[in-house]
Formats: sequence, C-alpha cells, structure tokens
Amino acid sequence: MSRPVDGSVDGVRRYSLRARLLWFLLAAIAAAAAVQAFIAYRAARAEADAIFDYHMQQMALSLRARFPLSIVPGVADELGDAEGFDFLVQIWTLDGTRIFRTAGPQLPQRAVLGFSQERVDGHSYRTYAMQGGVVVIQIAQDMAVRRRMAGAMALRTLAPVALMAPVLMLLVWAVVGVSLAPVARAQRQLAQRQPEDLGEISEAGLPDEVRPLVHELNLLFGRVRAAFEAQQSFVADAAHELRSPLAALRLQVQGLQRAGDEATRGRMLERLVGGIDRASRLVDQLLVLARQQAGASARVVGQGPDRARGPGPWQPLALAVLVRQVVGEAAAAAQARGIDLGVVHADELEVQGDAQALAILVRNLVDNAIKYTPQGGRVDVELRRLASSPAAAAGGAARLLVQDSGPGIPATELERVRDRFYRIPGSEVEGSGLGLAIVDAIAQAHGARLVLRASSTLGGLCAQVDFPLHAGEAAGGDRSP
Amino acid sequence: MRILLVEDDKMIGESVLDLLRAEHYAVDWVRDGAMADTALCTQDYDLVLLDLGLPRRDGMDVLRTMRARRQRTPVLIATARDGVAARIEGLDAGADDYVLKPYDLDELLARIRALLRRAAGRAEPVYEHMGVSIDPATREASVNGQPVQLSAREWAVLEPLLARPGMVLSRAQLEEKLYGWKDEISSNAVEVYIHGLRRKLGSGLIRNIRGVGYMVPKDPS
Repeated sequence: MSRPVDGSVDGVRRYSLRARLLWFLLAAIAAAAAVQAFIAYRAARAEADAIFDYHMQQMALSLRARFPLSIVPGVADELGDAEGFDFLVQIWTLDGTRIFRTAGPQLPQRAVLGFSQERVDGHSYRTYAMQGGVVVIQIAQDMAVRRRMAGAMALRTLAPVALMAPVLMLLVWAVVGVSLAPVARAQRQLAQRQPEDLGEISEAGLPDEVRPLVHELNLLFGRVRAAFEAQQSFVADAAHELRSPLAALRLQVQGLQRAGDEATRGRMLERLVGGIDRASRLVDQLLVLARQQAGASARVVGQGPDRARGPGPWQPLALAVLVRQVVGEAAAAAQARGIDLGVVHADELEVQGDAQALAILVRNLVDNAIKYTPQGGRVDVELRRLASSPAAAAGGAARLLVQDSGPGIPATELERVRDRFYRIPGSEVEGSGLGLAIVDAIAQAHGARLVLRASSTLGGLCAQVDFPLHAGEAAGGDRSP
Repeated sequence: MRILLVEDDKMIGESVLDLLRAEHYAVDWVRDGAMADTALCTQDYDLVLLDLGLPRRDGMDVLRTMRARRQRTPVLIATARDGVAARIEGLDAGADDYVLKPYDLDELLARIRALLRRAAGRAEPVYEHMGVSIDPATREASVNGQPVQLSAREWAVLEPLLARPGMVLSRAQLEEKLYGWKDEISSNAVEVYIHGLRRKLGSGLIRNIRGVGYMVPKDPS
C-alpha cells in the first residue's frame, strides 16, 4: 500500500478499495434514482390521465344537467373565450345539429360514446362523449396539453429524488472516507518508515477487517526485527572476534621483520603460518554458522516443507554411514592423542537433511570431544532409533550421542557454551568458541535438538542430538536387524 | 623495566612477549584476570599491559581492584573493545592509556615509553643527568656527547636509576627489572652490571649505599 510499492506494481492489476466502494455505491444510487424517477414519472402520468379523464366526465355530466332544460342553439364561443380553458366542448342534438362548441380546433362531428382518441391536424385528442337526454356532449382535450401538465406533475414528484441523490452520494463519499481513514493512517505510517524502523504499527482504531492484517504485519515486523538484531549482533561479534587473530597476525609479521637470526626467523614464520591458519579457520566457521543460521531463519519465517530449507538440498540421508565416515576421518587425530575413539552402536536409519551440514554437525561434536579429552581418554559415538514417544515425532526419533571421558562442562556453563564465541573461562584448548554454536544452528535447521549434559558412562561431556523421524522415513529406512 | 603482560590469547601473548623481551624489558605473562591480580599483589611492576576480555576475571575488574589497593603502576589497556564508552570507562577506572587491537607494535612501544617516562615524573624523552644522556626510544647512550655502547642488561639497570635521580633502588629491585619469572638469576649479576656501567660512564654516576642499594645522586657533589 505504501508509495514505493505502488510504483513497483505498475502493470499488475490493482485497485483501490475506496474507489471501488465509491464507484459501486454511487452507481447504485444513480441507478436507484433513475429507476425511481422512471416509475414516478410513469405513475404521475397515469394518475394525471385518470384525473383529467375524471374531469372530462364530470364536465360532461354537469353540462348534461343543464341542456335538457334550455337548448339555446348558436350560442357558441361562450366558454371558449375563457383564457386557459384547455377543453374543447361540442354539443349536438340527437339529430346531429351542433348547438354548441368552444373556440379552437374543430373536431369531427361524430362521437363514440365514452372515451376515445381522435387525430385532427396532427394533434392527438382525448375525447369523452355522453348522451344526455336530447343532446350528445363531447369533451375533448389536446393530448399535448395533457402530456405537458402530466409531465409537470411527474417532475414535481421527481424533484425530491433528484435532490436527494447527490446528497446521498456526498454522504456515502464521506462515510467511505471516514471508514477507511484508519487504513489510510496505517498506510501513511508505513510509507513514512525508514528501512531500519521495524516498530509496530498502532492497531488502535482499526476496523475488524483490517486489524488482523496489521496484526500479522506487526508479528512479521517482530520476527524480522529479531532476525535483524541477531544478524547485527552476529556481525558485531564476528568483527570483534576477528580482531584477535588479526592482532596476532600483525604482531607475528612485526616479529618476523625484527627477527635477527635464521633460527628466530624460522620460528616466527612458523607462528605466522599458525596465525593465518587460525584466521582462516575462524572465517570458515563464521561462514558455516552464517549459512546455517540463514537456513534456520528461512525455516522459521515459514517456508513450506518442500522449499529449500537451508543452503544445501535436502535429501534422505543414511545417518549411520555419515557418522562412520566422520569418525573414520577423525581417527588419526584421536590416535595422535592416544584417545580411544569408536562407534559403539549405529542403527541404520534415514533422516531428511543437508548432507554437508550434518557432516559438519557430527564432525564438530567428535572434534570437540577429542580436543577436550586428555591423553589416553575415550570418545564414544552412538546412533540409536528411539521408539515413538510423546516427545518425539510420530515416526520416532534418531538419537546421536557423542560422549567423552574429558573434564566435561560445569553445570553452570552448559547452556552458555552454545552461545557463539563463548569459551569456558580458563580453557586451555584453543578454539574459536563457534563449534557448538554451529552444531546448535544445524540442529535447529533440521528440527533437531542439541542437549548437553554430563556423560553417565564416561564421566565427561555427553552431547545428544535428537532428530525427528517422519513416519514414512522410519518405515522406508528400517533396515536394522 | 618490568612489565606485566595480561593477555589470554596465546598467539598474541607469545608474540608480544618475544617483542617486548627483544626491547630488553623484563616481562611476565599471565593469561587470566585472577592470575594478573595475584601477580600484581606479589610483584612490583613498572607497567601493566592489560587486555580486558579475560577469563575468570575481567580486565576492568583487575584494574579497579589494583587502583583500590592504591597501586600507582601505569596501566596500558590493549583490547579489541573499541566502543567510545568502553574507552572512557577504562580510562576513568584508572587506566593511563588505551590502544585498540590490532595495534602497531612500534606505537605500542612508544606508548609504553611515554607511560614509563610520565611515571618517572618527567616529560622530556631523553634522560640527561650529570653529563650522561640515554634515549629509551633509540637505545642510544652518551657521556659528554661521546656515544657509549651499553649491553641490554646494563641498560636495564641504568634506566630505572637514571629515571629518578636521588631514589635508592635495592639490589632485589634492580634484579626484578632484569629478569622475568622464568629467567635464571645469578647471585651477583647486579654487581657485575654496575661495575660495567661505572667503567663506561665514570665511577661518580652510580653510588652504592651500603646495605641499602644503589642510586644516581640528585645533585653532583
């Protein structure tokens, strides 16, 4: 509704509710007025006809009352001289002698008793004739006159309609305008908005038809605002976290510049390479996290299940295969630290998801476990199908467990460690503080849940991710013995 | 001069440690706030290079505690917290200067020299006393205009003495200026360097106060 949108939908059919309402209402009023006028006109005409006919009849009757008493032939034009007298009167005796006629056009001397129409000199006349004793009395009236008078009568009945229609239109126009004012106000509020202004539009005074729309709009604004703020704080955090590796790089380069002998130079170069590796790792992880969070928020905003939900395409994945592959890749690192890494159990099952993202999820959990477990420790990876429970989806759930014999995470830190860039104070292990944040984001994007707790079997950390299995997938992927 | 480096980032810490040592400062490096606090309670430092985002105890907290103890050691905050509010808060809490990561090492060294100079109660960058002048920025020394070569250790002994003429520094205090925690200390090291300095600069400059320590006299007499 806002102006910029108006401009961009040229060519798309659009309409204004207000204009449409006004046009329809005004047209309806006009049509109603026209129909009313037509009916009123017709009625007025018919009425006028009836009245004039009645007049002619009455006039004939009053003349008949006179004539049998005194027949005065030749007295003509007496009545006809009266100004404005519209009727033509002729009186004949029974033998056909006209004994009276008014001035004006001469009507043929014949008479059909009762009402009839006559045409004389192109004029149409309405006549009424009656026999009264020894005379025949004919009263006639020019139809043009009659029409004129009937028209005048009809017009008088039309006047109120003609006057009321514009008044009604004005009233409708005003009512429509006032009714739509809150919508116009909401539109103005939106139009004047800065791009970063995601505050709510006032829902006060909005009609019931529009309030749900504005309410939904406000909810959307809220979600967009939350996503926007999350993004902003992410960028701020990321910029802040990039400072340390950059500061290290700068110092390492300056150390290299100042290095006097070959041995020092070699050591400084080694450090510099380490610094560059660290910065690249951080950037990689930031990218993974940003991508996963974008995927998660696209899901939250309400894409359909068929749409792309993350950066990668979703497909049915044999999770056990993926777990074994990742554990295999991590084996060398585990062996180098004398850590016993293995898959204790893996049910064959399929989950829907992005293969790359899920591999990152498993790898981060396994790498974390290896990193924080001391020499000679143990890391167990486990994948089990859970029977459907009230908590899980209809098709049950897949539970991934990564447990280690390391020091674990204190209960007070369990929730915070998944915050991005959060590192447990005093932690000696190098890291960006993004690993678990990435796992969390990937899990959320897949509708899964990451739970961290103390491992009951190995004593260290137990990371648990529950993936929902849909009924169809559970049946299709059920190949476990 | 002895500096306490408080930095939790391993890469930054080891680089700064190396570079400061190359500038002949005695440096102790701690990686969290609590250890920084302990170090400040047990040792006398000429300067603290303090990071703010520290595990266990925030740098601001370390700074406030230290100022509450009335420790006047200059504090140079080196941090990634770049907000104006953070800088104001740091300076108002008792920091003497504030640099942002990533910083230039030469700038950092210049700021360290400036703070050490101010702490010694002087503004002029070159220390000059009784015909002996030393320039901490260029590490050049001269006696009556004649350049003199000083070893790093000799420099480390001479600088604090010349910075505050008239102040007596004990042998232990001078040893602290010479060595970090992990350095081996030979029992008569200070005497050896004082001897070398007297030979190069003339015997009148550094006086021995028996049973107390060494000083550069305020007025030549």
